[in-house]
Amino acid sequence: MEKKTIVIGVIGSDCHAVGNKIIDYALTESGFNVVNIGVLSPQEDFINAAVETSADAILVSSLYGHGEIDCRGLREKCDEAGLKDIKLYVGGNIVVGKQDWNEVEKRFKDMGFNRVYSPGTDIEITIEDIKKDFNLN
Amino acid sequence: MNIKNKKWTEEEFFKMREEVLSQWPTGKEVDLKEAVDYLKKVPEHKNFSLKLKKAKEEGVTLAQPRAGVALISEHIELLTHLQNEGGADLLPSTIDSYTRQNRYDECEIGIQESRKAGRSLLNGFPGVNHGVHGCKKVYEAVNLPLEARHGTPDARLLTEIIHAGGWTSNEGGGISYNIPYAKNVPLDRTIRDWQYCDRLVGFYAEQGIIINREPFGPLTGTLVPPSTSNTVAIIEGLLAAEQGVKNITVGYGQCGNIVQDVAAIRALESQMEEYLREYGYHDVYVTTVFHQWMGGFPQDEAKAFGVISTGSATAALAGATKVIVKTPHEAIGVPTKEANAQGIRATKMTLNLLKGQRLPMSKELQDEIALIKAETKCMMNKTFELGNGDLAIGAVKAFEAGVVDIPFAPSKYNAGKMMPARDNNGAVRYLNFGNLPFTEDIREINRRKLEERAKFEGRPVGFKMTVDDIFAVSRGVLVGRPQK
Repeated sequence: MEKKTIVIGVIGSDCHAVGNKIIDYALTESGFNVVNIGVLSPQEDFINAAVETSADAILVSSLYGHGEIDCRGLREKCDEAGLKDIKLYVGGNIVVGKQDWNEVEKRFKDMGFNRVYSPGTDIEITIEDIKKDFNLN
Repeated sequence: MNIKNKKWTEEEFFKMREEVLSQWPTGKEVDLKEAVDYLKKVPEHKNFSLKLKKAKEEGVTLAQPRAGVALISEHIELLTHLQNEGGADLLPSTIDSYTRQNRYDECEIGIQESRKAGRSLLNGFPGVNHGVHGCKKVYEAVNLPLEARHGTPDARLLTEIIHAGGWTSNEGGGISYNIPYAKNVPLDRTIRDWQYCDRLVGFYAEQGIIINREPFGPLTGTLVPPSTSNTVAIIEGLLAAEQGVKNITVGYGQCGNIVQDVAAIRALESQMEEYLREYGYHDVYVTTVFHQWMGGFPQDEAKAFGVISTGSATAALAGATKVIVKTPHEAIGVPTKEANAQGIRATKMTLNLLKGQRLPMSKELQDEIALIKAETKCMMNKTFELGNGDLAIGAVKAFEAGVVDIPFAPSKYNAGKMMPARDNNGAVRYLNFGNLPFTEDIREINRRKLEERAKFEGRPVGFKMTVDDIFAVSRGVLVGRPQK
């Protein structure tokens, strides 16, 4: 089976590194080729890494509440960079404070994310989804 | 960069100082002569070093919160509340995230927007922007010693300003405020920049003013094995002593197993003192700080108080000189001043009840102290060896080689090859050694402890344990057992 390549990182001015390391480990264990751009990463870094590695998906993390601002326009920039139809996933504590999850999910889907994960989602669930999305086992 | 663990000459210091003070307009306010006169008038009860020394001699543990907001008047209101309603023994000023990145123009926007909005839009006190004048206002409004607490890789200007403003303690260090807080800042640069901060404190010491320095103990706050954080604290303590610092508080973040936590504090204090003696620093006064649980907290406030009280109890039983307090809002974000005061009161209640009590020596405690010291010594020896006897050079090379390796750190100057996990009793052990320079005996003890857990849980030793442990406390337990 050909390995799927996934770019992961923590977007914006956010230096939360723990979850990022766990996602890196878990995706690698599950047989993905992981390109980890780490914390404090602007949108451009996600896109450059995806272009350079011909990635199949981008998985964005945000823990500090500014995810909504940081993620705006990512889909459009992907399109411009020629990353047409690349799968975009996002998760963490992506908005400030407690908000209605259905609305948050819709907001991020409208932004062009394929899947949006609520706070505290187990990475195993995301991995199952990614496998489903790429018709792996 | 050319760095050495050697006390800077006055010429070197004052040459760099010109550049430092020109980084932002408020730098011009710093006048060393005026600062010396001002600091000489700090009364005993507002002097951080003296208050810590007194606490250590009396065998009591002091409580200190974290707190900081954008505007001076609101910051004073917050600190006064923590002093009067919380009963804090020592006060902080937590510095905002823009200042930590030296983005003073963004602080300015944050200050203006906070004025307009009537609430703080910064997550701390922008000390550089408020300048010596602003820091003095805060110092004069409270009745307790003040310390800057932050996470700033280059804190040279901030350090100049806070000390000139009467704040008699500063947290941080070239390793502990880089590796856990930055991604791209070279270690030799931050070690040099913190030598500057220490040299300034050394300069004040030469004028008879003793300022306290505190290396940041908990690092990433995530399953950091005691010997790893103790090694970093001892390195930073020695680097500070070389620059003339005379009052050092070494720190450790609660891991959760009481015997291991007490052992960590006791090993840290005695090993720091041993190393200082061995390298010829005979007049440095050492105290300790215990940080209540730095990892993920439960959302439920009642459960959070359970975590806070356990940390307070451990700090008291260990005999730590001070404890850094968490709040019932920890899982949600920046706390209100009321929640912050509640955290202090819960802490002080526990400290009062346990006053004078110490965890008695036992076979378990003795073994744990010996293990932590032995692991620390392996890392210290190799660090000195890599630097050909120079600790500053050795520290840079040790991180390059993964000889000292902080788990879950964002910095690319950290190897990130070591992996920790809890043993069956909740003590944090080394699961993957990476390039740590441990003896076979030490490796064997760590392996055996983790095998005991694996057997109990019916699964192999592995990273899944680490992941389960990271989320365990916020889910209500210490050890992350497999989910049924």
